Amino acid sequence: MSQFRNLIVSTALLGLSVSSLAMAQEPPITLGVQVPTTGSEATYGQDMFNAMQLAAEEINAAAGGLLDGRQIELVTGDSACDPQQSVNAASRLASREVVGVVGGYCSGATQPTLKTYGDANIPFVIVAANSTQLIPANPGNAVMINSTGDDQAKTALDFFEGKGIESLAIVNQGDAYSQDLANLTRDAWTEAGHEVAAFEYVNKGEQDFSALVNKIRGSGADAVFWTAYYADGGLLVRQLRQRGFQGTIAVGDGSNSPKLFDIAGQAAEGVFAFSNPTADFLPAAEQFIADYEAEFDSAPGPYAPLAYDGLQLMAWAIGKAGSTDADAIIEALNSADGQEWLAGPISFTPQHTLARSNFVVLEGQGGRWTRYAP
Amino acid sequence: MTWYDSLLQQLVDGLVLGAFYALVALGYTMVFGVIKLLNFAHGDLYMTGAFAGFGGLSLVSGVLGAGWLGIFVAMLLAMLAVGCLGVVIERVAYHPMLGAPRLSILITALAVSLVLQNAALSLTGGQYTAFRTDLGFGGLNLGNLFLSYNQIVLVATAGVLMIALELFVSRTAYGRAMRAVAIDKEMCRMLGINVSAVIAVTFFIGSGLAAAAGTMAGAYYGSIWYFMGFLIGLKAFTAAVIGGIGSITGAMLGGLILGLLESFGTHIPFIGSEWKDVFTFSILILVLVLKPTGLLGKSEVERM
Repeated sequence: MSQFRNLIVSTALLGLSVSSLAMAQEPPITLGVQVPTTGSEATYGQDMFNAMQLAAEEINAAAGGLLDGRQIELVTGDSACDPQQSVNAASRLASREVVGVVGGYCSGATQPTLKTYGDANIPFVIVAANSTQLIPANPGNAVMINSTGDDQAKTALDFFEGKGIESLAIVNQGDAYSQDLANLTRDAWTEAGHEVAAFEYVNKGEQDFSALVNKIRGSGADAVFWTAYYADGGLLVRQLRQRGFQGTIAVGDGSNSPKLFDIAGQAAEGVFAFSNPTADFLPAAEQFIADYEAEFDSAPGPYAPLAYDGLQLMAWAIGKAGSTDADAIIEALNSADGQEWLAGPISFTPQHTLARSNFVVLEGQGGRWTRYAP
Repeated sequence: MTWYDSLLQQLVDGLVLGAFYALVALGYTMVFGVIKLLNFAHGDLYMTGAFAGFGGLSLVSGVLGAGWLGIFVAMLLAMLAVGCLGVVIERVAYHPMLGAPRLSILITALAVSLVLQNAALSLTGGQYTAFRTDLGFGGLNLGNLFLSYNQIVLVATAGVLMIALELFVSRTAYGRAMRAVAIDKEMCRMLGINVSAVIAVTFFIGSGLAAAAGTMAGAYYGSIWYFMGFLIGLKAFTAAVIGGIGSITGAMLGGLILGLLESFGTHIPFIGSEWKDVFTFSILILVLVLKPTGLLGKSEVERM
């Protein structure tokens, strides 16, 4: 409740500060924020929204807004990490004629919205979603500022090889993001001449993985790679360890939330996670962490820096375009030429994806993630 | 692991899963037996029960600890609270509709389900809640077979609850009245049986059992959230149909069968676990084609 109420109150407050600061005649620039604020991924969504709100407030306060004093105003569309809900949210944002949209966390929920924003010709900065399936679905109005599944599969391959793993069990949840990562990892792994002991699938929301755990143990796998999200991942990690699985467990970047420790408890110790660089591991983020903690009373989560960058990038592109014309903004976004942002330099490939890999390996220690150095 | 050990392990795990399904399926089947309603809000009572158990545990854990004793007391509190909630739901939402066409009351049940789900959504902000307990990971290793203490306690508790229910229905005056109401409500009314009270008791017991399953699932798996009742509600309904909806022993049997099917379905050679549900639900179709009333269902009016 408190999270939910916070969101409403903070949105209202933001609106209030906007209206009091704005030169009365200048209309605000409305940006859509598409994140899951309810459902299994609400933690991430709230966190991303907070970071974007911080960025918007900074731009409004420091530079007096954009385009000669027009303030940024944020409106949320709750994707709920669900393809149907996210399309509804996207249509609502499009009908409010937002200048641009920043967000996109779950790839499966982001993919169908690409068409919605494409048809309405709305510039879209995808901050976290990183399935390679988004690339062909992008009509050209969207850019992705997180590294894609390809980069993560490569990081996973290097990691498991470095650990001397021979045979790997891969578990996904059948959605665009986790299936994509699982397939890419399997292909990279077999191409490198290793064995895939088990390639499994579980239903979202299922709580009992005992049969799956038995199968993995029986398959002789010496490592398990969970490619989906933390809520069910925490349960799998817990049940794997409960049933005496001794091998390496690694989880993808959908599971690198601190909440994994809440759900898996002791079992999450020694679990590895692949992650885009979170605020703790970014030298440039010290001020950001301090500001975030001062405003929201909690530490920024794993996608906060990317969300912050996404909004800053959108604002920069609007400034560069010099107007709220969609085509000009899209052109400005794609012209990003490697300027330094919080999470590192941004420039795009011709496919509108980030032109570098930003994955790091983390290890669960003492109930939190630490940077893993082999 | 040999195929034999593996088979045994699947059997044990399937029974644990089946015990959950059976407890939830009982509520479906009892309500259907008495007022011929498919109570689609039943899965959400399971979810409410998990949250009530969580609240109960934080109340009593200071005194009793968060081990099995604390969880057991929390479970009783949750059963009581959710049982009463079930009675209130019946009085407010279903009772005035008893004379209405069957479809209207079915839609009401869907509405109740959405009300419970969305109430939990706004109260928890859609977040997962970690259900912290002091339960260990320990268990018995019988050869290659692993049986955790938690699983043993869980199946035993479910077993005791089911036996108690069976005794209640077959041996007590209220149980007899319940069976009578299932056969002919009008006749019961004429014979001076308080039909409303019998229906209330049925809802109380059904909801209480769902709450027991919810609390145990929360404690066993370690996390709860507002949508957790959906999938299990669907599965428990399936279990009730396999066993023959309206039949109490049928619900228990159906739950266990479904749990076993899912457990074995993961291990079909040469195809992956993504075929598990295809396998499980093909069996459901097969059962219904061969015996449309379910395994223990009877085609005559008496259903209880």
